Amino acid sequence: MATYVTRRLIQTIGLLFLLSILLFGMVNLAPGGPLAGQGQSRHIAPEKAAILKRQFGLDKPLPVQYVIWLTGNDWMKVDTNGDGVPDGIGTRKGILRGDFGFSFRTRQPVLNEINLRFPNTIYLMSITFIIALALAIPIGILSATRQYSIFDIIATTFSFAGQALPEFWLGLIMILVFYAWLKNPFTGAPLLPSGGMSSADSFVLSDRISHLILPVATGALGWIAWYSRFLRSSLLEILPLDYLRTARAKGLPQRLVLYRHALSNAMIPLVTLIALDLPYIFMGAVFIETIFAWPGMGRLYYQAAIDRDYPLLLAVLIIGAAFIILSNLIADVLYAFLDPRVRYE
Amino acid sequence: MTNQDSNIPLNIDVRGDPEYRQKTAEALDPGNILLKRFRRHPGAMIGMIVLSILIVASLFAFLSHYPVDQSDMSNRLQSPSITHIMGTDALGRDMLTRVLYGGRISLSVGLIVVGIALAIGVPIGALAGYYGGQLDTTLMRLTDVFLSLPAFLVVILLGAIISEGTFPFLKGNSVWTISFVIGILSWMTFARLVRAAFLTIRELDYVTAARSLGSSDLRIIVKHVLPNSIGPIIVEATLEMGYAIVQESGLSFLGFGIQPPTPSWGNLLSNAQENFTKYPWLAIFPGIMIFLSIISVNYIGDGLRDAFDPYKVLETVGEYT
Amino acid sequence: MFNKPRSLFFLTCVIISSLVLNACGAIKVTSTPAATATQAPVSTQAPVVVATDTPFAPANKNITIVIPEDPPSFNAVIAYTGYDAMVMKMTLLGMTGIDPNGKIYPELAAELPTLENGGVVQDESAGTMTVTWKMRNDIQWADGKPVTADDVIFTYKAITDPNTGTWIPGIDSVDGVEKVDDYSFKVNYNAISTSYLTLFGGEQVAVWPAHYCDATQGFSAWDCGRKPLSDGPFVLDEWVQGDHLTFSKNTNYYDKGKPDIDKVTVKIVPDATVRKQMMINGDADINMWTNETVTADLQKESSVKVSISPNDRFVMRLFMNTAAKGTTDATAKPHPILSDVNVRQAIRMAVDADTISQQIFLGFSKPVWTEFFRPPYNQCNITRPKFDVEAAKALLEQAGWTDPNNTGTRECHGCKTGAPEGYKMEMQLITYKEYGEPILLTQQLIAEELAKIGIKLDLTTVEGSVLWADSKSGGIEQTGNFDIDLWDDGYSGTDPADFISQYYSKDAITPDNGWNIARWDNTDFNNLLTDSYTLDATKRQSDFCQMAQILDQQVPMILLFTTIDADTYSTRLDGVQSTVNDVVTWNIADWKVVK
Repeated sequence: MATYVTRRLIQTIGLLFLLSILLFGMVNLAPGGPLAGQGQSRHIAPEKAAILKRQFGLDKPLPVQYVIWLTGNDWMKVDTNGDGVPDGIGTRKGILRGDFGFSFRTRQPVLNEINLRFPNTIYLMSITFIIALALAIPIGILSATRQYSIFDIIATTFSFAGQALPEFWLGLIMILVFYAWLKNPFTGAPLLPSGGMSSADSFVLSDRISHLILPVATGALGWIAWYSRFLRSSLLEILPLDYLRTARAKGLPQRLVLYRHALSNAMIPLVTLIALDLPYIFMGAVFIETIFAWPGMGRLYYQAAIDRDYPLLLAVLIIGAAFIILSNLIADVLYAFLDPRVRYE
Repeated sequence: MTNQDSNIPLNIDVRGDPEYRQKTAEALDPGNILLKRFRRHPGAMIGMIVLSILIVASLFAFLSHYPVDQSDMSNRLQSPSITHIMGTDALGRDMLTRVLYGGRISLSVGLIVVGIALAIGVPIGALAGYYGGQLDTTLMRLTDVFLSLPAFLVVILLGAIISEGTFPFLKGNSVWTISFVIGILSWMTFARLVRAAFLTIRELDYVTAARSLGSSDLRIIVKHVLPNSIGPIIVEATLEMGYAIVQESGLSFLGFGIQPPTPSWGNLLSNAQENFTKYPWLAIFPGIMIFLSIISVNYIGDGLRDAFDPYKVLETVGEYT
Repeated sequence: MFNKPRSLFFLTCVIISSLVLNACGAIKVTSTPAATATQAPVSTQAPVVVATDTPFAPANKNITIVIPEDPPSFNAVIAYTGYDAMVMKMTLLGMTGIDPNGKIYPELAAELPTLENGGVVQDESAGTMTVTWKMRNDIQWADGKPVTADDVIFTYKAITDPNTGTWIPGIDSVDGVEKVDDYSFKVNYNAISTSYLTLFGGEQVAVWPAHYCDATQGFSAWDCGRKPLSDGPFVLDEWVQGDHLTFSKNTNYYDKGKPDIDKVTVKIVPDATVRKQMMINGDADINMWTNETVTADLQKESSVKVSISPNDRFVMRLFMNTAAKGTTDATAKPHPILSDVNVRQAIRMAVDADTISQQIFLGFSKPVWTEFFRPPYNQCNITRPKFDVEAAKALLEQAGWTDPNNTGTRECHGCKTGAPEGYKMEMQLITYKEYGEPILLTQQLIAEELAKIGIKLDLTTVEGSVLWADSKSGGIEQTGNFDIDLWDDGYSGTDPADFISQYYSKDAITPDNGWNIARWDNTDFNNLLTDSYTLDATKRQSDFCQMAQILDQQVPMILLFTTIDADTYSTRLDGVQSTVNDVVTWNIADWKVVK
């Protein structure tokens, strides 16, 4: 197992390197650029554009830009005063030393920008995740044990519906209903806030919760639908199997059969599935964050894509890819750990 | 003496009876078995009906006597009525017509994406699964590279790149470019599926037999292995179609997909966003269409899954993401 | 592994029910008056007895402003999104400002330097000038230190630093800035600059504190651009990225008694529908830059007022490429359709700007047909080109564009652009998507109107960042890769000369050197333009009017109508005034909370 993990980790490095080239190419080859125009001025004065081009390092050929992005430019001479002659040392250290560059839009280090949004996304998505699981698991179990009952039919239909509802549409409708239409019977104010993380100046638990309800509900719905159905079909495969029949024949109560033997085996694929979904906790859901004004990674990425803020885009993509690769590894290791039939060499 | 269950006397050899032969052949025909099992699935049948209605309605959208892109400023923003069943939009265009034309776009994107994903994924998975060894490792590395990309983020980025007509032969933002963008990030599941199926099937006896008889590899793949692994592929394809429709609507909603004035369900939703509270019908109907098409596609997929594999023999849990 | 899923289930139910109950409790908590300013006046505590006319004293003097995105920083020069200017105007002062009517007023300056009072000294023969500024001596930074000429010189040095600085309009004609004494300084110009009054002021430029900002970090990225030291009416308390900013009154503000407002919360709300709803519900007091539909909706609400700028800036235009699509030299490769001035005039006659502005822009726009429509240079009396579909058709027939086979689209039969015989009159109309639905609808209506005279248009929408990018990045306009573009632009401030130069001068034809994307080169016009860079007001006016005549005849660009510049504000506030020359917080120190 240890050799397997080590081998995978080494492969990860190669994979990330390939990905970095692919992503860098994609981002830079997108037509349009960060010099197009900012806000009120539809376009930048040419003098300003020339200065920005030099400061952003966009005047160099693409492969050179890639090398600088990767390894920095403090080991080479750069043109610091715009006369075209390299005369000073650069200040960037490059990704390999942890310097993800400066955002074109705010001129702040990209990692700072990400660090400001990162906790908010984790906060929202992990709560969504936990609630989704907390509901999906019981629903899946009940569905499977009471197959074809009313509960099961409703749950299955609900899970089909939940997977078919587009998230962005659901979010808008939630806001329409709970913010625009329904009012709190006591105060006349809207029932639930329309967005943001909080309305109070300091931490007030009930305020935080009221801001969480709509985004979590919108996001969790799809997952509840998916996981409960998955668990149900997983359990249904296992329940009729012979070894359980033996256990029942031996006289074990159904509850013990279910929870000790069936569920633990049915959960294995679910656990690996959850491990594979972990990257979502980082990258957030672009739609939910945009519609509910949640200051998170998804919204940051979307805005950066519009602005063509290359350093920020690349940082989010590379970190996201690293997360995915790692979570795949975790899922595989977990699978081997939990299922004694699976062995890697 | 006769058998209690049928009228065939026990002491007659039935194998010569043509009617008997025909009935048995029908009963044992795999296509018929599939169909019978499919028909037993109520959700799938309803899904088929709904999806067929949607497809036929979209195809016959040209029958509407309202034009899809001509404005009619005197009839702007009418709520649903007898003359305009789904109301009109901000330029006075009939929403029902636009929704149906949008259906063409969204449904065809769904189909084309599945086509592209299959065209890329199935060969890769087949080659990897059949030949194994170095080819398998390389192809799986390639699959891993694509699987490691944060899919929707990259789709957004690609939507921005390809939307500006970088390919001179393709008009930017057409159905084909959007499908291409979504499709090249959707083939990996198929590759894995096909590979898994091939790994199981290539060890079976009839394949060894065919090889020993001298069949070429390609012939074996196409004639023997592929048809028997088609079950999970078809199931996954239907699910992927639903997912593609969602991605296209999401992309258009964000502004990176199909551009107006061509209607697609996604950009109809995004156009409606501004005045959603005042004119809710502009957003409700496209949203319902997306919902209906995805849910029927999912039910069909479920029915197909039960039809191909009622005892879940080929389904390898954990291979799906 | 999971030994007690049933108890897990019960636990889940308990958690969920407690969440729900808490949420109900949450609504009660957040609705108390102390938390946020969302109450209608009736349900607050007993009014404070005040000897004024207002029946209700305001419960609190805190206001909320909603904007769609974070300001990138407090330095409006770096990435002028408007939201940076909005927060900058709350915290920092410049030498001068521009009021909604275009009049420049002193802010940090004690008085405006002019030729008359000797502040401006010209050297006509050499074509240079010097401007001496006198500053007020009663303005301090929030930490008590005075605002002096040192701060101005520090700002100038930071801006002009080649490594970390940037460019502001007019900086190229400045040779240097020297200190005269603590409260005055001299700016030496190497050319006659007609915009000298707003060099260190106006919309984007503020004066930064020399003792607080770190010059090594540089003008573009210094920390004091995110944690500013205020000399303006408010001080930044807190900035939670992506969520909100809070400001409180600057007790050291030089204008005692102002501002009336105690606290300002700026909330980041990306969705326009939600912002509108917040205004309706009273959760927000200012909604910045509302578009036509939102403004019209909010006008109907009794608790919301609309402030429309008295002057207009942005004009919706049709930019036409007189060079062949994909090229940038109109003489070498003229556009097969648009290089003929008759065609351009015919297109102008066929577009019904009135209907579009009424129906789509809900009457908030005014038709415009010349660049010189804003004071003080709107004296040129150019007659409005008529809207006449039949005349447009006749003009096209004359120009050699006919439709002998009645296909609905004209073809070149004897046209004068050098297009091959039978060339179809089909073109592409591009617009940018970030404006929103009205521009898309305009695009479609224009296509329909031009179809009536036999011109077929293919419609495309692109992102602004692609339309306006530089030629190396594949920018559509800089590479000449378009036929007709539709979008809005206009100049800020009162001086159109730089704007005109960017769009119509010969130098601006070269890609990345300007925005003459029509690739229009007119010698008379260029001469007049150079001539107009003078401080002689009468000469300027006459030059401009002659230029207006040329533009009217040659039609390198078709101007349609202005687009709205409005902000909506709640009836709690008094004194809010939208302006095209600045952002809505330009006079936030003067606002009063009346409810």
